[in-house]
Amino acid sequence: MGKKIISIENLSKSFGNHEVLRKIDFAVEKGEVICIVGSSGSGKSTLLRCINRLEHQTNGKIFYHGKELRDVQKEVNEYRSKVGMVFQSFNLFDNMTVLDNCMAGTRKVLHIPKQEAFDRAITNLKAVGMAPYIHAHPAQLSGGQKQRVAIARALCMNPEVLLFDEPTSALDPEMVGEVLNAMKELAKTGLTMIIVTHEMGFARDVSTRTIFMDKGYIAEDDVPAKLFTNPKNPRTREFLSRFMAG
Amino acid sequence: MRYGMLASVNPTNFMEWMIFLTRKYANLFWQGTWLTLYVAVVGTILGFLLGYLVGIIEDIKLHKEDSVIKKVLVRILKLISIIYVEMFRDTPMIVQAMVIFFGLRQSNVEIGVVTAGILVTVLNTGAYMSETVRAGIKSIDAGQREGALALGMSPMLAMFAVVLPQAFKNIIPEMANTFLTNLKMTSVLNVIGVSELFMTAKTVGGNYYKYFESYLIIAVIYFVLCFLFNRIFLLIERKLSLKSDYVLAVEYMDNQ
Repeated sequence: MGKKIISIENLSKSFGNHEVLRKIDFAVEKGEVICIVGSSGSGKSTLLRCINRLEHQTNGKIFYHGKELRDVQKEVNEYRSKVGMVFQSFNLFDNMTVLDNCMAGTRKVLHIPKQEAFDRAITNLKAVGMAPYIHAHPAQLSGGQKQRVAIARALCMNPEVLLFDEPTSALDPEMVGEVLNAMKELAKTGLTMIIVTHEMGFARDVSTRTIFMDKGYIAEDDVPAKLFTNPKNPRTREFLSRFMAG
Repeated sequence: MRYGMLASVNPTNFMEWMIFLTRKYANLFWQGTWLTLYVAVVGTILGFLLGYLVGIIEDIKLHKEDSVIKKVLVRILKLISIIYVEMFRDTPMIVQAMVIFFGLRQSNVEIGVVTAGILVTVLNTGAYMSETVRAGIKSIDAGQREGALALGMSPMLAMFAVVLPQAFKNIIPEMANTFLTNLKMTSVLNVIGVSELFMTAKTVGGNYYKYFESYLIIAVIYFVLCFLFNRIFLLIERKLSLKSDYVLAVEYMDNQ
C-alpha cells in the first residue's frame, strides 16, 4: 500500500484509575478504509478522539507523516484541519445555516475566497444530496440529513483522513441507510477513512481493514474477508457470533 | 384648559400638584430622565462587555501542556475575576457607590459624579453579567465546541464563532432583566450627587414640601421607561428566534 499518514505507537489512555486504551499500535496508510468494531466501552471512540486530539493520551505517541504530534495549539489546529471528524451527535453549528456550516471551516480556518468556499460547499453538499437545504438550520433537519451535512462540512476542508465516530448510532434505522450510502460513495473516491461503527455489514463490505477492539486492546486487525469469516481471537469470534447470528 | 389654569395658579389636590410640579420643573425632570437613561444605557453596555470578558476568562481551560507563561497569566486573570465578582456581588450598590466615589476623591483622582456613577454601574453589572455569561456558555452543548475544534478552529475562534453567538441568544432575557434593574438602580446614585430622576424628585419635592406628588411623578416616569424597554426587548427576542420554515434551494433540486 501507500505511505503511512498516521501511525500510533504504544498509546494508552486512562480516566483516573480506569484504563480505557492499552498499548495501541497501528498505522493508517493512504487510501485505507479502516473500520473499528467492538463492544461498547472497548475504547473505540476514545481512540478516535485521541487521534483528533480531543482527548490526550496518557502514554504513547502519535505520528503524522512521520512527525510526532506536539501539543502546540497552532500545530494542533493545522493538523485538525487536515484530519476531519464526523461525530455521533453531528455537532452541526446550531447558529448557522447548512451553507454557513459548510463554509465556516473553509472561510475562517483555511481563509479561502468566498466564491471558492461556496463552490466547495455546494459540490460536497450535492455529493451527499443535501444541496437544496443550504438555507435550512440544523434544527429543521432530520438526523440523517444532519449527518450528511456534517459529512459534507468535513469534506469541504479537503481532509487527508476523515474520522467517523459512530456516525449512524444516533439515527433511527430508516436513516442509517442514507448515511451509510453516502459513506460508501466516499470510500469509492479513495478517501482515507477511519470509522468506528456497530454496522457489521458495512464494515465487512466497505472496509479494507477491520480492527476489533476489546477491553482497550486491539484484539484483532485484519482484512475483513479474514476477520469476519475466520477470526483468530476467541473474543472476536464470540463478538461476531452475536452480531451475525441474526 | 381649566386644569391647566388651576395647576399653574393654585393647586388643591395631589393630581393638580403633580401637574403643577411637572409643568414648573419640566426641564429638571427631562434632565433627570435623560441622565438616568444615559447612566443606565452606557453603564449597562460597558458592564455587559466587562461581564463577557470576565465570563470568558472564567471559562478558559488550562491543559497540562500549555506554556508556563500562559498558565501563570490565566491563573492571575482568573484570581482577579473571582475576587472582583465576589466583592461586587456581596456588597450593596449604594455602598459601592460611596466607597468608589469617596475613595477616588480621597486618593486625589478627579472624577465627575456622572462618570463615577457610570463606573459603579459598569462594575456592578459586570459582576452579575459574568455569572450569566458563564452559565450561558455552559448551557451550550460541548459538541458545538468540539465540532468547531475538529474543523481546526482555535479555542478562541470556536468561542467567538460558534459558542458565544448561541450563548448570547440564550441570555438575552437575562440581559434585558439586567438593563431594567440598572434603569431603576441608578436611583441610588443620588447619594454621590448624580442628578438623575430620584435626585430630581428630592429637589422638586423639597421646594414645596410635596414629596408624595414629586416621587409619584418619577414613579410614573420609571414605569413608562421600563414598560417601553420591555416591549422593545420582547420584539428583539422574537426577531432573533429561529424561523420555523426555510426556502428550499430549488436550483439544486435537479442535481440529486
